[in-house]
Amino acid sequence: MSDLRTPEQNYFQSKWWKRKDVKQVMILWIIFTGLIGYFSSKFQVIAMGKPASETMENVISLITTFTWASSPVAGFVAALAIQALSQRRHHGDNPPPEADHNISSSPRATALWLVISALLCLFALVVGLIALQKDDQALLDKNAIHINVTGQQWAWSYDYPGSTGVRSNVLHLPVDQPVVFHVTSKDVKHSFWVVQMGVKIDANPGYITQTVVTPNEIGAFDIRCAELCGLLHAYMQNKVIVESKADYQKWLASQPDTGHTTWTAEGAIE
Amino acid sequence: MTTLATKKESKALIERLNVFTAFALGAIAAIVVWRLSLALLPADSESAPLFTREDKITLLSMIAWFIGFMTGIGALIGPFRWLRGKDLTHEENMFYAGKDLGVKRYFRYTTDHKVVGIQYLVITMVIFGIGGILAMLIRTNLGKAEGGWIHPQAYNSIVGTHGIIMIVGTIIMVTGPFGNYIMPIMIGARDMAFPRLNALSFWLIVAAAIPLIWAQFIGGISTGWSAYNPLAGQAPLGMNGYIMFICIFAISTMVAGANITTTVVRMRARGMTWNRTPIFIYGIVASVALALPAFPVFFLSQVMSGMDRALGTSFYNTALGGSGWLYENLFWIMGHPEVYVILIPAVAALMEMAPVFTRRPLFSFNVAVMGIAGISGLSILVWAHHMYMSGWAPLLSAPFMLTTELISIPTGMLFLVLVGTLWRGRLWMTVPTLSIFALLWNFMIGGITGIYLSDVPADAFLHGSMFVTAHFHYTLMGAGLTGAIASLIYWFPKMTGKMINKRLSWIAFWLTQIGFNVAFMGMFFVGLQGQPRRVEAYAEIFSKGNLITTIGAYTIMIGMLILLYAVIDSWKNGQAAPMNPWHAKTLEWTVANPVPLENFEVLPTVTSDAYGYGRSK
Repeated sequence: MSDLRTPEQNYFQSKWWKRKDVKQVMILWIIFTGLIGYFSSKFQVIAMGKPASETMENVISLITTFTWASSPVAGFVAALAIQALSQRRHHGDNPPPEADHNISSSPRATALWLVISALLCLFALVVGLIALQKDDQALLDKNAIHINVTGQQWAWSYDYPGSTGVRSNVLHLPVDQPVVFHVTSKDVKHSFWVVQMGVKIDANPGYITQTVVTPNEIGAFDIRCAELCGLLHAYMQNKVIVESKADYQKWLASQPDTGHTTWTAEGAIE
Repeated sequence: MTTLATKKESKALIERLNVFTAFALGAIAAIVVWRLSLALLPADSESAPLFTREDKITLLSMIAWFIGFMTGIGALIGPFRWLRGKDLTHEENMFYAGKDLGVKRYFRYTTDHKVVGIQYLVITMVIFGIGGILAMLIRTNLGKAEGGWIHPQAYNSIVGTHGIIMIVGTIIMVTGPFGNYIMPIMIGARDMAFPRLNALSFWLIVAAAIPLIWAQFIGGISTGWSAYNPLAGQAPLGMNGYIMFICIFAISTMVAGANITTTVVRMRARGMTWNRTPIFIYGIVASVALALPAFPVFFLSQVMSGMDRALGTSFYNTALGGSGWLYENLFWIMGHPEVYVILIPAVAALMEMAPVFTRRPLFSFNVAVMGIAGISGLSILVWAHHMYMSGWAPLLSAPFMLTTELISIPTGMLFLVLVGTLWRGRLWMTVPTLSIFALLWNFMIGGITGIYLSDVPADAFLHGSMFVTAHFHYTLMGAGLTGAIASLIYWFPKMTGKMINKRLSWIAFWLTQIGFNVAFMGMFFVGLQGQPRRVEAYAEIFSKGNLITTIGAYTIMIGMLILLYAVIDSWKNGQAAPMNPWHAKTLEWTVANPVPLENFEVLPTVTSDAYGYGRSK
């Protein structure tokens, strides 16, 4: 070997971070991370609109958190790709000369990559588990009111707690009051989705499933069926009216007793 | 052929059978069984909980079609010989391999892996053509909020058929054409381990197609491709077509999987150690090896579905003691490995091309193999993330969230291999090279949106929305189909002996990629706004996003039509290809165009891996 180092040896043994292409990637990385994180989270926040419950606020913050957490990865891949694309392009029917090196692995880069992706994965998992735990505990809230939801082709009906036997086709909810939904179906599988509140649970014939939410905005929001349930699946949607507690009580009292059900707090089925 | 003819004065049976006799015999068998079952099956009793007579008749006729078709194509000749204690003669085997048959061999039960590869290529393009037309019908219908010029029942059926046909198309799009045509040459073999099984796996797909078409005339598949019960139980007779289609296709996949796995394990060239086996081979093997446990489950789930319909059992009927959740579990135990069955070979194909077009070695071969193995292993443990919101087992949400998010690590390895190979390479700008970039872009978006969906609280919002639809189109189409089209362009010279039209394939590439991103970004948007999947009408707020998606879809269509024209035109009139137009180092480029019947006169010996590009220090 001569004393002159090949570019390859330089690459690994001297100050690799001073290489021009490495610097380019670093700068591009920072730019792309910012751009991707900013525009993707903006896109998501605009699309998801105004939340109508804390659950939905959590969903939005979860999604934007994941976006920001993954934007360095996406930014890095984009930086490498753009850097590669901006240099040494060759057109024509014959191949370009072969590359000036034959690096076929780099244990250091691989290890770093694995550690970072494992950490990001762990981060996503921990964030998700904490949010999941919150949702699970909310189901046990002693102050919650219980509403039974029945899906059938192609409408929802709701039975309210208390002894009045009230049944409605448009859901009414009091604001700032935890509600546990006990959901079932009369025919095929449906999925009960209160869109702006960020909750969803399938309605299965023969089973009762639960989900819980506390609406924190007064207004009318959307309920849609999220599982293909036959001919008019697209039209299986309706509004949920969230009103003040007094208005809710007034509405509940004004409804006729249909004699349909005797729902218990545990949501026993009729 | 001449030898056979001189042996027996008249034409032997084996020479008479082809696709026409197959269709004829299948049709006759179906009609006979239909008439017989109409006449003989007792009427449903008025008190029966389920009426099953019509389902019985439909399923029996379809089974008769299947047996008739497979007999008519000649699939049973070999087994019958074995029953009589004999086997095919050498001349018959050569005839089976399509020797001296010209273009006729493509319409027969031909065992040559190159013929099967071309057959797969053509049927894949036909499937994508039909599936694409259905997609355009869906997008046209969704062009404006009150769209609805298609009747809801027909619309649901179009959605279901588009789904299942594209799933099948994408499953076979790489392992079918390239796994059959290129793979044996790439490993230095003369043919597959089981050539007759190879022909069987192809003709099973043709046999399966007819029940699916049949289904469209008896009520359609109005349940979406997942065909959840009990919706499938109440769906019209067309469901029986879906059930038959899946059962036959599952057999085809299992047969192909056993064949390809055996071929790769047993028949690699001398000196081709696992370290020297090209990465594409790993992708193919991982794909079919994943299909081996997945598709028997799919098969069984549909057999049980068929029994619920036709025999009045109640595997999935909660009212009678079964459970719809059982179906969901069985379906997704197949359904999640299946997406990697689609994705892995497409990514592996691009990893195979990356060194060729960057003129440097593949970066971290070992990491690529570990990534493929890691994805394959984890993918059979994640199925219930499709069921977070089903209420089946809320306590299992956390463990399934863990396994699902773990998949991001091996997936990241595949990204590392690709960007590592681009790093300091010399880019030879071809459509496959651009496809690597397109894959990085699309798969990155598809992968990251998968993380949102794997997270249970976020999935409570996103599940069942258009966001999911956009996500899996980004992975299966944006990544998978991009890899398959790159494969087609890359191996076109070897498979057809012609170069593909460069200018047209560039235009097609850009139109499809731009159209694709426009279409599915719009779909992400409406999904986040709260539009459910599989709806034929939607609220006014979704109209902008849907219009954008429809415009994107039409752009894709134009791109695909240009690609189709480029393929057909180049195949017919293209300029003849040299033996190794890409100056690549894998074995398939060492054989002549057109590839001789037995590929290699002398089987090659391999002394290094296929990635020896770049100047050594």
